[in-house]
Amino acid sequence: MPTIVIASPKGGAGKSTTAVVLGTELARAGAQVTLMDCDPNGSLSLWATRAPVPTRMSLESGITESEIVRRIRRAEADGAVVVVDLEGVASRLVSRAISQADLVITPMRATTLDATIGVRALHLVAEEEEALDRHIRHAVVFTMTRAIRSKQHKGIETSLREQGVDVIMPGLMERAAYSALFEFGGNLETLPPQGNIAAARDEAGRFARAVYDRLVAEEAVA
Amino acid sequence: MNEPFRIDAGALRTRPKTDTTADLKAVDRAGEAQGFVAREPRRGGRKPSPRTGQVHAKVLPHVRDELLEEATRRGVTQGVLIEEAWALYRKHASGS
Repeated sequence: MPTIVIASPKGGAGKSTTAVVLGTELARAGAQVTLMDCDPNGSLSLWATRAPVPTRMSLESGITESEIVRRIRRAEADGAVVVVDLEGVASRLVSRAISQADLVITPMRATTLDATIGVRALHLVAEEEEALDRHIRHAVVFTMTRAIRSKQHKGIETSLREQGVDVIMPGLMERAAYSALFEFGGNLETLPPQGNIAAARDEAGRFARAVYDRLVAEEAVA
Repeated sequence: MNEPFRIDAGALRTRPKTDTTADLKAVDRAGEAQGFVAREPRRGGRKPSPRTGQVHAKVLPHVRDELLEEATRRGVTQGVLIEEAWALYRKHASGS
């Protein structure tokens, strides 16, 4: 089963939210999912303490740079889609996790700072592609977006697309439901109503579908 | 309830990947070139001497200073003092 690595050296970009939303939606869609919490802040571990981990999901934490490759390969062999949530720093743990990725997703808020720092993850992917002589599919997802896109958001997105960067649509808007996952645990179906929960469920489902489409695309396994 | 799309598990496959030592080193080099460096704490202390296997015990600063002073006075290494202290300890412990 494939591995999805959520990577950005920028803290607060929405990596953990992206990992939980993606993992829970893929599990709801029928996949066995292993979440790997590689962030010292332990956001995913916190999520897992709030409620029983949803069906078809498991969580692994406390993973070091010397273990990450072995742990990913073991989870893959167990038949799980692996979603790796990384720390928001530039570390060897990040580069080693990316070496095992079928898809690297870089979440970024639509700000110049997030884009500037987030692009370092894309450069790292390119560097590893060259070192390993294999294509590593990667994409950007905008997080904490607003209903009306700012000029800055449009400018950054246009710039990325012009550089050939794959931008996942839809992005993940700033929603009370996503924040509440870390308060109540579980998934968006089990969550008590928060804000526009129906819109959050719809968006999360479409986001997970967009990721799934990338995983099964011909070029992903070519 | 909002029904999710259904995944075709058979369509989900992992790409061929490598985890050889050489490839990991190449990945580490690629990461370091982009500023992605080792950040986990390494195990402390100096490694044993490759020639003699001698290890370097960590002691508090004032003990280090006293060891150094006594070793200098006697013209021996600090290790000799530690070995002598250990012999005394063993003798005391055995009661002989």
